[in-house]
Amino acid sequence: MLRVWSPLQRAWRQRALVVALARRELLARYRGGVLGFLWSLLNPLLLLLVYATVFRLVFTPRSDVRPYALFLFAGVLCWGFVSSALLDAAETFRANGPLLRKTTVAPEVFPAVSTGARFAHLVLALPVLAGAIAIAAVTGSVRPDAAVLQFPLVLVLLAAMVLGLALVVSSLSVHFGDVRDLLANLLTLTFFLTPILYPIEATPGRLRLLLWLNPFAPFFVAVHESTFFFRPVPASAWAGMIVWTVLALAAGSAVFERLRDSIAEEA
Amino acid sequence: MTLPLPAIDVRSVTKLYRRWGRKRSIGTFKSALLSGRAGRALAPDEAIPALTDVSFAIAPGETVGVVGPNGSGKSTLLKLLAGILRPTAGSVSVRGRLAALLELGAGFHPEISGRENIEINGLLLGLSRKEIARRFDEIVRFAELEEFLDAPVKTYSSGMAVRLGFSIAAHCDPDVLLVDEVLAVGDEAFSRRSLEKFAEFERAGKTLLFVSHDLGLIAERCHRAIWLDRGRVAADGPAGETVTLYRERVAEREAERRAQPAPAAPAGRATRVGSGAATVEAVQLLDSAGRPAARLLSGEPARLVMEVGAPERVTDFVFGFAISTVAGATVFGSNTTIDGFVPAELGAAGTVTLDIPSLDLAPGVYSVDAAIHAQDGSPYDYRRDVLRFEVAAEHAAAGVWSPDRRWSFSEGIRWKS
Repeated sequence: MLRVWSPLQRAWRQRALVVALARRELLARYRGGVLGFLWSLLNPLLLLLVYATVFRLVFTPRSDVRPYALFLFAGVLCWGFVSSALLDAAETFRANGPLLRKTTVAPEVFPAVSTGARFAHLVLALPVLAGAIAIAAVTGSVRPDAAVLQFPLVLVLLAAMVLGLALVVSSLSVHFGDVRDLLANLLTLTFFLTPILYPIEATPGRLRLLLWLNPFAPFFVAVHESTFFFRPVPASAWAGMIVWTVLALAAGSAVFERLRDSIAEEA
Repeated sequence: MTLPLPAIDVRSVTKLYRRWGRKRSIGTFKSALLSGRAGRALAPDEAIPALTDVSFAIAPGETVGVVGPNGSGKSTLLKLLAGILRPTAGSVSVRGRLAALLELGAGFHPEISGRENIEINGLLLGLSRKEIARRFDEIVRFAELEEFLDAPVKTYSSGMAVRLGFSIAAHCDPDVLLVDEVLAVGDEAFSRRSLEKFAEFERAGKTLLFVSHDLGLIAERCHRAIWLDRGRVAADGPAGETVTLYRERVAEREAERRAQPAPAAPAGRATRVGSGAATVEAVQLLDSAGRPAARLLSGEPARLVMEVGAPERVTDFVFGFAISTVAGATVFGSNTTIDGFVPAELGAAGTVTLDIPSLDLAPGVYSVDAAIHAQDGSPYDYRRDVLRFEVAAEHAAAGVWSPDRRWSFSEGIRWKS
């Protein structure tokens, strides 16, 4: 029974290496350009600007999600983390083939690095979110309170679930060449099926049940509650997040453990 | 008195490499999911044995070499010992901290500095942050990279990267060190220092296992050698004996293949011309351990030595060697003038040594000419066919050159194990 968790245990034992490799990834990415790490802020900002403009000019946002730019921001940032971490995980063994074949490193380290590095990106962009909330608060359009303190906990749970999914995606990608393409399509679809662009209240009642089967739904409900509506995250969303996180970690560990031996041979 | 527990214990190890070839060709995850056979698509459909029933134990403090032709399972064995691969059957155990040098600098990232790479490489080798910090200066000093520490590794020469990789591994203080053919790289001064480092390990009672094509090195440095042949242990014993057995076997196979005896007899058409102002007294071919050899394996290091004498002081002189096939075609020829030496003085007697790091000749018998002559070409002592030697190889090759080589194939081209 304990064996189920052994990929996670091994990744945890190697956490110093995970941190160092994630740091390396960030440093290498930002060392090249003059703007350096500003790019990690610019990308979500630009995306946000596009969404906000389009939705403001073409559709009138519902009254409960104004200012819409702020409503979108946290969700889009978090989704950016989810999709980039999983897409990275689908390539990590190919990219790190020499390390896997020539050093004694535990393969679990690599999906953990994909998750960790992208999570660090997300954290680095949080000051912009804080700034946006502060500006909106000053202009009186939102009234932030202590409910925002739930957000870090939501992020931690989200990162843990993404780690579980990254374990699945990375180990499958060793055997199947098309995992990344499938994943990219699946992520696009999921993006619209998840309450990111819209509040969950905007969905018709009979679809809402279906929405709860989407593992990401409770996370983004919680993101909206904690960073926009400033209300306590409902217990059902907490339960959903915890259940999906545990399931993702268990499934990730199990699939990874099953395919682990072939990773160094096939990568 | 009880026997010490072995540092490395390999029991009846069999390793099969599994192929997903057939399924790979149809095998996208989409089709596996659609056909509902994701589970079955993950089952291998072909198994290729890399090691079969291999057993041995190595006591702490032993230095053991592993020899064998390419494809005999040497690298697989090291990867099993390193824990990168798991045996299909049998068990592998290693006692103490293990470091594997399977490829120097395998973990380097080109975009970040040497300093950051040291930390990551150290962590990869199992050091803690604290241990790395403690050894940092020593690592940098040994690698001689003080000035380049903050430059990205992509600006390093390959020699610098190799030095850094070795230095990190050497300073992580392992109990068991696995080394795969890494001494061949780097300049000569550095290979010498790395050999000294290995000797230090040995004195400290560490266990060393290394794979090399340099049979001379193995005979000289190892207590014991294991010869792997097609995934099985063909011989396991004192290094000198194992190496001799292995050389003999390769030459035998070679002779069988050519269906003729190996004529390693010296000098059929030896001739000697020259004024005698300086003389070639003797010529020898040595293996890397410095022992005379009439037979070398293709790709081994070789050393040509000529003992020279001069009745009177000579100031205009050139030393040269040539290697040709017995049929007379020159394979190689060079001399000290060609290679840029300007003569000053040749005293009474001396030794001239030419080192060839890798004797990349195709199997066959070769003849050596050695000469001393004036810079205008007039011979003092020109000895044609002064020595013959045989080159053997596991695989025949046409022509005279047999470089280290690697084939690779795109998907869709498959081979029977």
